[in-house]
Amino acid sequence: MAALDLAPPQLPTVRALHAALRVSARVASVVALLVAWELLARSGLLTPYQLPRLSTVLAHIWSDAITGDLPFNTAVTIGRAMLGFAIAASGGVALGVAMSRIPLARWFFDPLVSIGFPMPKIAFLPVIILWLGVYNVSKLTMIVFDSIFPVIAATIIAIQGVERELIWSARNMGAGERELLWQIVLPAALPQIMTGLQVALPLALIVAVLTEMLMGGYGLGAAMMTASRFANSVGVFAGIVEIAVVGYALVKAMALIRRRLLIWHQEAAEPTA
Amino acid sequence: MAQIVVDRVRHLYRPPRGKPVLALEDVSLEVREREFLALLGPSGCGKSTLLYLIGGFLPVESGGIAVDGKPVAAPGPDRGIVFQHFALFPWKTVRGNILYGLERQGMPSAERQKRAQQFIDLVGLTGFEDSYPSHLSGGMKQRAALARTLAFDPKILLMDEPFGALDAQTRHLMQTELLGIWQRTPKTVIFVTHDVQEAVYLADRVAVMSARPGRIKTIVDIKVDKTDPGVFKAKAFVDKVDEIWNLVKEEAIKAQVEHAS
Amino acid sequence: MTAGLMKMLLRYSPLLILAIGWELVSRLGLVSSDALPSLSAVAAAWIDLVRDGDLVSNGLSSLYRGGAGLALAIVIGGVLGILMARWKPVNVIFGPIVEIFYPVPKTALIPITVIWLGLGDGSKILLIFLGCMIPVTIGAFNGARSAEQALIWSARSMGADRIRILWDVVVPSALPELLNGIRTALALAFILLVASELITAQNGFGYLIGSLGDNGNYDAMYAVVLTVALLGFAADRLYQLLMHEMLIWRH
Repeated sequence: MAALDLAPPQLPTVRALHAALRVSARVASVVALLVAWELLARSGLLTPYQLPRLSTVLAHIWSDAITGDLPFNTAVTIGRAMLGFAIAASGGVALGVAMSRIPLARWFFDPLVSIGFPMPKIAFLPVIILWLGVYNVSKLTMIVFDSIFPVIAATIIAIQGVERELIWSARNMGAGERELLWQIVLPAALPQIMTGLQVALPLALIVAVLTEMLMGGYGLGAAMMTASRFANSVGVFAGIVEIAVVGYALVKAMALIRRRLLIWHQEAAEPTA
Repeated sequence: MAQIVVDRVRHLYRPPRGKPVLALEDVSLEVREREFLALLGPSGCGKSTLLYLIGGFLPVESGGIAVDGKPVAAPGPDRGIVFQHFALFPWKTVRGNILYGLERQGMPSAERQKRAQQFIDLVGLTGFEDSYPSHLSGGMKQRAALARTLAFDPKILLMDEPFGALDAQTRHLMQTELLGIWQRTPKTVIFVTHDVQEAVYLADRVAVMSARPGRIKTIVDIKVDKTDPGVFKAKAFVDKVDEIWNLVKEEAIKAQVEHAS
Repeated sequence: MTAGLMKMLLRYSPLLILAIGWELVSRLGLVSSDALPSLSAVAAAWIDLVRDGDLVSNGLSSLYRGGAGLALAIVIGGVLGILMARWKPVNVIFGPIVEIFYPVPKTALIPITVIWLGLGDGSKILLIFLGCMIPVTIGAFNGARSAEQALIWSARSMGADRIRILWDVVVPSALPELLNGIRTALALAFILLVASELITAQNGFGYLIGSLGDNGNYDAMYAVVLTVALLGFAADRLYQLLMHEMLIWRH
């Protein structure tokens, strides 16, 4: 809802204070959790194998960072996830647009999308490997296959939800079909499409890690799996921390991009949660 | 020769689910150049539908609509529309919204900017050119929507209950401003409303529509001195409002009964 | 009745076309029969698997693990979410944990559960329990928070104690979001099940797929893959019907 004209705008200092409180509350809870981890590990209730100390895990991460293993594996996993996401995003939007405007496309792909969505698509990985081999292209295909569904669904809903009056206004001013699609429909649909993209990106990361765990090679998932095979529990915990941090960073980056792109949107008129 | 001729138009509303409903039946109407015509009627009578048909947004089932002798086939910049819920492009600023129509017409850049500013000033939005619609109040949004449509200079202005979403005070202000703008740059205006006072204040003629399926019931001439600041209390005005209200009341009751069934 | 049936047939007919296309492509030899066995061969292999009991026995192992983990997640996650919404201290303790684990890919928990409980059923049940608990807890939490204060106050004024209020007001209000959270957990359970069984298992769907693939028995491998995929789809559809029934008072 747009702010009422008559409501007094929050002073910038008050708003900054609120934001700072929220951030520090979050940081405080993370810190509390980490402290609890360290204390629990030191308490002797669990063996160092079952729960290695946070300090040990951090040291492991640090040594990986110095040797270059961590940056390399992180880059490989993120690169894989981003490439898959990019393909899923462009393909998904294109397919969503086609399904919204071409009845034949709608009829053909609708059952595929609605059945494909709740399926555990990871079950198809052995089939993909059969077709494409044990190479990176199989991992990429799996990532695209998984991430494309939320994009398609969001695009279809977004385009159907574009207000009729917006399209009529543009037609009124002489816009042709192609101009309508690119200048009016897609910008109007952008907020909801972005929501779909915000679901697809973490999904791409998850599937990237999963395919690395299943197929080996390079990347954070593969490294974690190797540690697991060598019963290196410190390495496994390190892997989880690394993946969690990467996931968190990607989600935050996406939220920032959304805020920039959609500065005009209703949400921008309100304080962010 | 009337500028707009609506000839025995019939329109069927086909909902995605359910049976088609006859929205307009045998509607005939002539609108003269530069006149201000109000379309008045109870909810559901099809007055907005008629407006959309004239605008070319919906197809005619049977009968025909002609503007300046040519049949209406599609929307176009000769018939500018203003919607009740503004329909501003939310991702564009006020200026961006107004520029869009001018860009479609291929106007050169410098001229576009000048013209856009002219209309921003005309509707009193100077200083808000670079604001996004989500940061504007209802009244300001409607001014922007009006400026956007006026800027590409349509011969005909189609207004679909444009002040319906505004509070009473803003509505009154906007009515007076609209009248002022129309008197300075005369255009043909078809103004849809369910508010009798608004219709009598703004229009030269008021076309009263029947309940669904809509047809034109009566057309009433308005001869009231609009320059009088106390016009809303003047006897001529009040009598006219009564006369038209009685015509509308019958149809409003019929519409209610149909709603209940 | 027939109108509805016709509509459903029309809606899903592209699948029929794809199936026919598949059969034609493999019959015509356009693709190597190793990579893409014909649909009829896959169907035949499926029947064999059922007859031999392989599909059913492995299937039951998988479903037992998945069901147990999911059931635990639903019960414990649901209770936890509701308590978190209505009791500050619970929220203070568990809130940060849930928030932190929300963005962690649950599949990354696979190696940890193996470290803790080895390669058997226990680790898989723990995996599914931990992974699925997150969406259920979040759904229960959001749902319980949305319980209208007015309803709670009127219940209290009628003399209901805290437990009664929980049961009579909070739980019904929380139901829609909770049920949605469970739906997410259901899909997640299938994914975690298949993924963990593909990595290490001695029985189950994932194990079966892996071993059939290793032996070059591709017809049967396809059969199991499709079975699992369609089971996931069917589970979701059935759950949607269940959800509709439970929320019918809303409509």
